[in-house]
Amino acid sequence: MFNKRGLFCHAKPAPAKRTMFRIFLTFARIGLMLFGGGNVVLPVAQKQLEGLVKPKQLCEFYAVARSLPGIVAPNFAALAGYKLGRLPGALAAVLGLVLPPVALIVLLAAGFDSIIYLKFVQSIFWGIGIGVVMLIFMGVQDIWETSVEDRFSFILFFAAFVMLAGFRVPPSAIVMMAIMFAVAMQMKSEEGAK
Amino acid sequence: MIYWELFVEFLRVGLFSFGGGHAALPFLYNISEFKQWYTIQQLTDMIAMGSVVPGAFGVNVAAFAGFSTAGVFGALIAVTALIAPSFIIAVAISGVLVKFKKNAYVIAIINVLKPVSCGLLAAVGAQIFVDSVNNLFGALLLGILLLIYFYRKRTPVFVLGVSAIAGLAAGLLQLI
Repeated sequence: MFNKRGLFCHAKPAPAKRTMFRIFLTFARIGLMLFGGGNVVLPVAQKQLEGLVKPKQLCEFYAVARSLPGIVAPNFAALAGYKLGRLPGALAAVLGLVLPPVALIVLLAAGFDSIIYLKFVQSIFWGIGIGVVMLIFMGVQDIWETSVEDRFSFILFFAAFVMLAGFRVPPSAIVMMAIMFAVAMQMKSEEGAK
Repeated sequence: MIYWELFVEFLRVGLFSFGGGHAALPFLYNISEFKQWYTIQQLTDMIAMGSVVPGAFGVNVAAFAGFSTAGVFGALIAVTALIAPSFIIAVAISGVLVKFKKNAYVIAIINVLKPVSCGLLAAVGAQIFVDSVNNLFGALLLGILLLIYFYRKRTPVFVLGVSAIAGLAAGLLQLI
């Protein structure tokens, strides 16, 4: 005999394995909905994780994901996945977010080598090369709007540009110098406040 | 061994690229210069592919770079190494998120890193500009794209679509 109560009881404690798979699938869907870069991950995730994680908390995850090193969308998935299912949840979320697009890329990359020798494909990719310059310009403008606000930040921008474009300093060295500089400045201002 | 080198290089990208979106590009550019696993021209193609395929842009480009260097296994290693450092940090700090976000040192570092990563990306853009815009028609195409953009902001797919058609037309008319 099945009554309402029995069904209800059966449905509630979901087995852990299934939950991980659900997290994987949810983030796979989120990953495949990210068009035009990972920055749209917040609105997409807010829709897909409705009822599971509060929108405000997702905002907080997004802010932290942006201040961590690495790529924003997987950082975000790790934080949200951890909230849903601890370490296994974080792993399931990141794998789900990353694997389908990577599989697509591998397929495309494998096909790419066999068509690039064609003359008309080379013409297309000549045009696309110009488009990529435009894309990077758009990327620079995007960050510029929220980061280069005064003379101080412009000097930092310019210094980083010259170091990489002019002197071929490895970016990791530039970033390390910037971090040390920021820490030193902060220590000094804290000393001054005392 | 190529797999180990690939792992170490992309671990570096995962640890030091800040600012999301295009932040990994200066590092991938640096790899193309010092390791010669792929050329600037190939990096440009990767950026195009990475923008068209859904998913996180940085991950997509890294997967492509890993694949060009060492096949499917290379792609998996590149992506794993790229994500691993921040994954570990994210899990480690997830109990103290608010404290982390409000930490004065974290804020100071982010404030310095933002314009720095903008400058790094601009440097990569300049390099790809020199490499890609190699004739008058290219400059003209870029000018048109800029005009369209200032008139109204467009998506990457739109930009790449227009430039692909322009490239095809230029090839057929033997302008390039």
